[in-house]
Amino acid sequence: MSKKACFLFVNKEYTLDGIRSALGLAVENMYSYGVVMYNELEYVNDYHKENIDWVRDMEGDVFTTVDGNVEKHGLTKITLEEIGEKLRDMDIIVPYGIMRSDKS
Amino acid sequence: MAKSVGIFVTSPRYMRHVIGITKAAVARGSKVKVFFSWFSTHLTQCSDFPALCAMENVDVSICADSYKNCGYDVKDIPAGLDDKKMATQAQHGVIIDDYDCYLTL
Amino acid sequence: MKLLNVYRTTPNDDVKKLVEIVSRDREAQSFDLNVEAPDYNKMLDMVFDADQTICWW
Repeated sequence: MSKKACFLFVNKEYTLDGIRSALGLAVENMYSYGVVMYNELEYVNDYHKENIDWVRDMEGDVFTTVDGNVEKHGLTKITLEEIGEKLRDMDIIVPYGIMRSDKS
Repeated sequence: MAKSVGIFVTSPRYMRHVIGITKAAVARGSKVKVFFSWFSTHLTQCSDFPALCAMENVDVSICADSYKNCGYDVKDIPAGLDDKKMATQAQHGVIIDDYDCYLTL
Repeated sequence: MKLLNVYRTTPNDDVKKLVEIVSRDREAQSFDLNVEAPDYNKMLDMVFDADQTICWW
């Protein structure tokens, strides 16, 4: 049975490459999800958009708690409580990169 | 038999934990795989990186794309690695599928 | 389900909330890596005993 993995992105310097990592697991036949917290995505180019689309095409998704990412980049809105419930269903949880104290 | 340990490294902050956990795991007979991605590929420049790679029962690889995107030349292979260890995100999949315990640092 | 929550830094309120939810109705333990000299052997005992380990930031 395919494993389920969820990446948590809390730092804008790490998010776009982290989504590439999430896609990497999707390619390995896992259900792969990402959650963008705290930050609005910046410098999103066609390559990054394709990565997000591919994660979705492979039955994963990229969620966000930030409204701007829903409006500008079409990410799926999620609340903190919903993230927690989703994580309960995951085999692998990846708190990705580093947390900055100012959450930027 | 001791459980195997896979470590997915994404932070450049915790080389001491990577080394500490790996040494402790190997000492009790565990097989360890460490995969460095994104900014953690800067840790290849640490003086103790080659020693980590040389440890018995430890498989170390890095994401070549990350290394390149962090400003390094992929032909400039870090001491301790060879070209086969300049790898892809598939190594993360190997950690998840083939190792008993999963850690993120 | 035995869960191990490992902390690399002091968790903020959001992380505490997530830990609360994922730990609900489960046998959850924690290990603090954010100390001068972590006992890696003790941590590995806990990792080996757990069904899942989450290394929070």
